[in-house]
Amino acid sequence: MAIYIKGMGNISIQDTLGKNFIDAPVSYSEPYIRCIEPNFKDFINPLQLRRMSRIIKRAIASSLTAVEQSGIAVPEAIISGTGLGCIEDTEKFLSAMIENEEKFLQPTYFIQSTHNTISSQIAIYLKCHSYNNTYTHRGVSFEMALWDAYLLLLSGQIKSALVGGYDELTPTYFQQLKKLGFWRDSVQDSLNIVNTPGIGTFSGEGSLSFMFADNAENALARLDGMSLGYKLNNDEDVCRFITQFLEEHHLTPQDIDLFMTGKSGDEVYDGLYDNVSKMLFPQTLQAVYKNLSGEFFTASAFGLWSATSCIKNNEVPECQKINNIPTKPLSKVLLYNQYQNKNHSLILLSSCGC
Amino acid sequence: MAQNVFVTGLGIITGIGKNVEETLNALKNLHSGVGAISHLKTVHDHLPCSEVPFSDQELKKMLQLNDQEIVTRTSLLGIKAAQEAYNFAQMDNCKKLGLRIGFINGTTVGGMEKSEQFYNDFINPDSNEYTPYIAAHDCGACTEKIADYLDDFDFVSTTSTACSSAVNTLILATNMIRAGLLDCVIAGGTECLSKFHLNGFNTLMILDQHLCRPFDETRAGLNLGEGAAYLVLENEKSLALRKQNPLCQISGWGNSCDAFHQTASSPDGKGAVLSMQAALSMSGLQPEEIDYINAHGTGTSNNDESEGNAVMQVFGSHIPPISSTKSYTGHTTSAAGSVEAVISILAMNYRFLPPNLNFKNKMEQLSFKPVEQLTENVEMNYVLNNSFGFGGNNSSIIFSKYKK
Repeated sequence: MAIYIKGMGNISIQDTLGKNFIDAPVSYSEPYIRCIEPNFKDFINPLQLRRMSRIIKRAIASSLTAVEQSGIAVPEAIISGTGLGCIEDTEKFLSAMIENEEKFLQPTYFIQSTHNTISSQIAIYLKCHSYNNTYTHRGVSFEMALWDAYLLLLSGQIKSALVGGYDELTPTYFQQLKKLGFWRDSVQDSLNIVNTPGIGTFSGEGSLSFMFADNAENALARLDGMSLGYKLNNDEDVCRFITQFLEEHHLTPQDIDLFMTGKSGDEVYDGLYDNVSKMLFPQTLQAVYKNLSGEFFTASAFGLWSATSCIKNNEVPECQKINNIPTKPLSKVLLYNQYQNKNHSLILLSSCGC
Repeated sequence: MAQNVFVTGLGIITGIGKNVEETLNALKNLHSGVGAISHLKTVHDHLPCSEVPFSDQELKKMLQLNDQEIVTRTSLLGIKAAQEAYNFAQMDNCKKLGLRIGFINGTTVGGMEKSEQFYNDFINPDSNEYTPYIAAHDCGACTEKIADYLDDFDFVSTTSTACSSAVNTLILATNMIRAGLLDCVIAGGTECLSKFHLNGFNTLMILDQHLCRPFDETRAGLNLGEGAAYLVLENEKSLALRKQNPLCQISGWGNSCDAFHQTASSPDGKGAVLSMQAALSMSGLQPEEIDYINAHGTGTSNNDESEGNAVMQVFGSHIPPISSTKSYTGHTTSAAGSVEAVISILAMNYRFLPPNLNFKNKMEQLSFKPVEQLTENVEMNYVLNNSFGFGGNNSSIIFSKYKK
């Protein structure tokens, strides 16, 4: 049982809305990076634009890109994942509340602070009254949204779903996460970050939208299945999690043409990716994507975008490869992402030709 | 073949009781939890709210947690209610029996009640006094704290659709059980009061300075509440293996988007109509088969008009008994869906209609009045529960009486 990717939109710290970003990926030399934004007037009418917060503008622009590519104007579900929600407006309301001791507050920032603002604003923009949901579960928030869409599509309850991963990072939240060890003090060459391990990595942001449907017509790639693991405590647990998933799809690690992971250069968590790669995929081409996207709670959506692009172009960009195994025709790609060694996700993609 | 979904356990804590038994007694004795604010430190303490009458320390003691433990109030309330549901359904044998278990939680406020207290420390790069609370702030962290307290869950997730979050957890749990992916799931929501959302609702001018009066012509807003509630849902296999007696079944759900405005409902209640109709359709029921509606009924001018119009469109001249129990518990926001699901199931199983407290004057626009008095010995086969959130996130769910 499979579902199909019909369209994608990606606003990130790379020029991913541009046609040929991968010919000239940007490398950064600082740990706090914000999105390269398009001219939103190309997407959204100026009257509406003025009232939208940054994350909403991005979400609508990436959604409209996915809608246009898919040819599906009104999806039968809108499901979003976001680790932090609309943190910029949350902070604005919170700091005003604290500074003014709960007086003289305006409702606008509060109205736009809840996590579900994103899904709901997309629905208002697309005039979509169908199923609408929002998941917010740490580093697997996007996968949770995708999981919901996958179940609804497989059970035949819907025929299409707009699924997204949306996170913004304010300077103050960057500082807060820095105190928790998320980020390095300095970064020289972000594209090369996984080869220069240290504690923490560099941050990113993203607004990634995907149109999924139940049929293969004009699809970019096929999603054959996914799995979510909680509290897998060691390498063996994770290997078992992966082999079991592959067995359910009648596959072995040798059948995988590309193993793409969420390795980020953070040596606290990269060990797990390295060990699992060594144990299960020694002869498989391996790639990363967080050197392009930076780390954020829904960065795995960038992984899905990147893997789909690889399948579509039948090519893996050099800057993403982390071993020298020659590229075979990309018919099966396995994505593995994990958050703090606790939340794990697998997504199996196929080219539509096979 | 889709599997049946049975409800086998309940857990709840709100301003009207710290467990199912106290909640049932309060409902029957018309005891509301809405009153003066005492635990939340706010300048708006003249606004009535329904607080859980225990401090964090008292809750920690109840749960045998160390006083120094880093845990948000949202998680504490969640642990208390989820533990009751877990014990109610005797879930401790699940893992031994090889069953796949899940915990699905709904919250929006998450750890905000702590973050707003420690924010100046959070954003001061030179201080680390409260740094562990940064990691406890996000909604997913609150969920995992509850899950990890109880058991080794195979699947853990968090929904956040503001005031409909908890019903959406029941929907995901139902879908996963029907698809055969989980055997036994705890699902529901938790939310503590925070200055953040008290002030937020206050700026929207939708908080009543007096007791809320849902569906009353003179209604002037809502009263906030805090609490948590969870249901244990399981499939036939789990039911048989564990020899559990179902309390009821889930027959259908609806989820739609009003897609009208970020905080206001459409006057005609389009989204609400769609979610109720979808729940009826999935359940294979005609509107006249619904025996009770536990309404979203916040007591705001806008919600009650919109929801009332939607109910009239869906039910026509056969409007079932309807009440909003937010007059008891206050509006527990992300927990409201499961708080009211527990109340609806208690009403069905103990055969009583909980009244809409504080109601006096019928709304001119509506053809119906809510339930005014506690009515006992009422046979109910199907109850419908509505939860509508900011952003037009509308969800409805139907519980049906368990028949062998």
